[in-house]
Amino acid sequence: MPVTFTLNGQQRQFSGDPRASLLDALRRDFRLTGTKDVCGEGFCGACLVYIDGVPKVSCLLPIGALEGSKVTTIEGVGARETLTPVQQAFEDFDVVQCGMCFPGMVLTVTHFLQTNPRPSRDDVKSALVGNICRCTGYERIIDAVMSLHNSAEGPE
Amino acid sequence: MSSVKDSVVMNLPRRDARDKLQGRTKYTVDVGGVEVLHAALLRAEVASARIKRVDISAALAMPGVQAIVSASDAPGLHGMGVADHPIFAANTVRYHGEPIAAIAADTLAQARAAAAAIVVEYDRLPAVLTMADALASDAPLVHPEWRDYEILFDGGVRGGNVAWQATVVRGDTDAAFARDDVTIVEGVYQVGRQNHVPFEPRAVTATYEDGRYHIHTSTQAPWTVKHVTARVLGVPESAVHVTVPAVGGGFGLKFDCSLEPYAAILARKTGRTVSQVNSRKEEMMTCLCRENADIRIRSAVTQDGEIVGREATVLMDCGAYGGEQVFLTTMTAHTLGGNYKLGSVRLCTKAVYTNTPPNGAFRACNGVYNTFALERHTDEICAAIDMDPIAFRHRNVVGDGDIGATGQVFQGNVLAPMLDQLTAKYPVKRRSGTLPDGRLYGRATTVGTWFIFVGPSAATVNLNADGSATLVTAGVEIGSGTMMQSLPQIVAANLGIHPDKVIVKTADTDAAGRDLGVGGGRTTVSIGAASEAACAQVREKLLGVAAELLQTSADKLVLSGGRVEIRGRPGSGTTIEKIVQQAEVSIGPLSGSGAFTAPGERSMPGCAAGHFIDAIDIPVFAVHDCEVAVDPVTGHVEILSYRLVQDVGLALNPRAIHGQIQGGVVQGIGYALSEEITIDANGAFDQTGFETYRLPLAGDVVQIEFDLYEGAPSIGPLGTKGAGEVPILNVAAAIGCAVTNATGKSVTTLPMTPPRIAALLDGRTCLPEMDHIDPHWLANLL
Repeated sequence: MPVTFTLNGQQRQFSGDPRASLLDALRRDFRLTGTKDVCGEGFCGACLVYIDGVPKVSCLLPIGALEGSKVTTIEGVGARETLTPVQQAFEDFDVVQCGMCFPGMVLTVTHFLQTNPRPSRDDVKSALVGNICRCTGYERIIDAVMSLHNSAEGPE
Repeated sequence: MSSVKDSVVMNLPRRDARDKLQGRTKYTVDVGGVEVLHAALLRAEVASARIKRVDISAALAMPGVQAIVSASDAPGLHGMGVADHPIFAANTVRYHGEPIAAIAADTLAQARAAAAAIVVEYDRLPAVLTMADALASDAPLVHPEWRDYEILFDGGVRGGNVAWQATVVRGDTDAAFARDDVTIVEGVYQVGRQNHVPFEPRAVTATYEDGRYHIHTSTQAPWTVKHVTARVLGVPESAVHVTVPAVGGGFGLKFDCSLEPYAAILARKTGRTVSQVNSRKEEMMTCLCRENADIRIRSAVTQDGEIVGREATVLMDCGAYGGEQVFLTTMTAHTLGGNYKLGSVRLCTKAVYTNTPPNGAFRACNGVYNTFALERHTDEICAAIDMDPIAFRHRNVVGDGDIGATGQVFQGNVLAPMLDQLTAKYPVKRRSGTLPDGRLYGRATTVGTWFIFVGPSAATVNLNADGSATLVTAGVEIGSGTMMQSLPQIVAANLGIHPDKVIVKTADTDAAGRDLGVGGGRTTVSIGAASEAACAQVREKLLGVAAELLQTSADKLVLSGGRVEIRGRPGSGTTIEKIVQQAEVSIGPLSGSGAFTAPGERSMPGCAAGHFIDAIDIPVFAVHDCEVAVDPVTGHVEILSYRLVQDVGLALNPRAIHGQIQGGVVQGIGYALSEEITIDANGAFDQTGFETYRLPLAGDVVQIEFDLYEGAPSIGPLGTKGAGEVPILNVAAAIGCAVTNATGKSVTTLPMTPPRIAALLDGRTCLPEMDHIDPHWLANLL
């Protein structure tokens, strides 16, 4: 039986194998390739999406479990022509390198700041525990995040 | 330098950041669609065997299968220095994971199912899994036919399980060690492999169009892919066309050809577009890792700290095929043989065959562990002669007019003032102690010498009628930002336009001339220099046309702000657009081509044998300082602070260099502390996923404090040097020396995982077994 769900604001159906991972369905069937397939085991966070507003790793989610869910991928974040404040900070701080981890980073940080508008550096580090980056060494990402609010530690 | 900086737009934002942040960038792994076939490899599950029989009949009949290819489809051998490597095992399997057949099917699942249905029968052969095994007198040979291989570069000594031997002999070390006024210090060191883990695995899409292969691939070296694919397929190089989109990380792994030939053959056989992507497990189990190495080093040092003699033997595990390690034997001369003035020196470096997955190039290849060994050894020397480790280094680092291991003459005092800069900013109060929480405190300062690979690059610059310029090279954007920042900056500065007006064409071997590849810190320098040369031609034509138009002489004209002006008279000239339009009717569109290669720094004749690079063209220096806290019970090492001074020549993008330093040091922290690969009895890696291979996480790292050292001599454009490779160079060295100071126990092996450091603290650690390197240096030579 096909699975019906909302993908980036549009109602979509998936009629393939319901045990397929959401990651594979997004990349292979819906051709939304911003969600990255990196570790395939739920460790790296590159395949992060929002399910009903909550960040989840799509590599571990069978698409059959998503009937009626709202799925948001990196392609559905913000307006197409402009960057969100998180994306803009990452660009302004020149933190992007190879870029493969950044769709997941953007989703994690965006969600985190919604519930933690004034985090400390350590709070941000804890929030990034499920997002691995091989290029940047993290701290510049955290610098960019810290610039987004007026916490006690302040922006750089 | 300030005048150069006045003419360059500094800290240029990355033009690729926006798409990467919005998930729009199309990497090679993102190419797909219903028209694309998917390929999978059948890989050997034994380390050493004779192949008795391969039966593909059942697999061929499976649903969706379009083609199956194997050794007879690609008979050629490739390699660096020695052509020893087939892309498919034909009769012999030499490592666990070696490809035996490639399958193209409608879906990836079908391709994998077909691979599993191929029947292979093996006659198992004894495997040599360690270098000690490989060098035993009765060791089975990984390549019994080693004498028959084509030699691609002359000068290396080879034999048995030694794929390549490079040596340096300068001066009389026997006499130095025989002196009665010297202290002799000896050490042995052993390091494991490091997996690059690029987030985009090795991947390729191939088609066969109009009699040529079009390979769209995730590589750092498009011209190498072109060359190797043609060689193993037995077709002319002109029949291979390589294009490269954004690459999702390389770190050296993608400096060699990898999956491209398989996809190319399958594309020709099927007439379809074929996508081939390593699964994460395949990517990790066949990673061309930073090699494991065994090192023995000894030095003769006078009481006042003069190094009168040094001998070292370095064994590099190349795995089943020579690959990059053959070339990298060269590096010991410039890394372990670097840093310090040596009265006499003998170095022997061997690439050793084992029945393990082949190794490759990884950021500051060879240098990372040789710097670890050298700096640990240096601290042992300081302890033995009771000399302050910074004073010893200050006394001995190479400076202006000093000679390196191979006798090349260094220019400029760089390392000594860099040491001064670091210690002035962060004075050393103590090197060991106990922290209030009971943990052991250690601090160490290390130096490192690296260099920029130069080699051939070509560039074409077209100046367009709208005042923009198009830069055509085979350079690849692997994430470091060079193609997005440095190159448009260099072209813009040379043509007097804004970098936003410089279009950078993505790598395409049909459009751009030969290039060695993006790696070794060479992109800004080599492609930058070729681009400058191309700009010089454009400038000459442009100014010639402008001189006529403005009725003055070309030498009175300057290019700035998109305009040609008469010098000292702003507003007197006209726009570049006007000149280009004029040129189109007088001499034609304005374009120029430029080239660059190794200028050829010279060594002392007769010092180096078997080296691909006898002397280094652009040395790069680094000083690193680290404070650690070691838990005395668990052996866990925490980095308390990490500071460094890096020689960058001229910093075009301090912000981007900051990113490279933070990222490079963290990769070094992973190498030093947590990233470990072990090989099981079957010759396979134990760590083939993110659960077992321990990459640094956000919580494991610290903010790197750094100063850039500018002004050291460099032949790079605008005085630049590459800045992305070197940050990893002396990280394991600095942490290893700091942990030694903290614990009072000699760190001799990497990585310094908690169990290993706990064993060290408990006195349960012996020196690494090193019987396969003879203490008598000469006895190690083939």
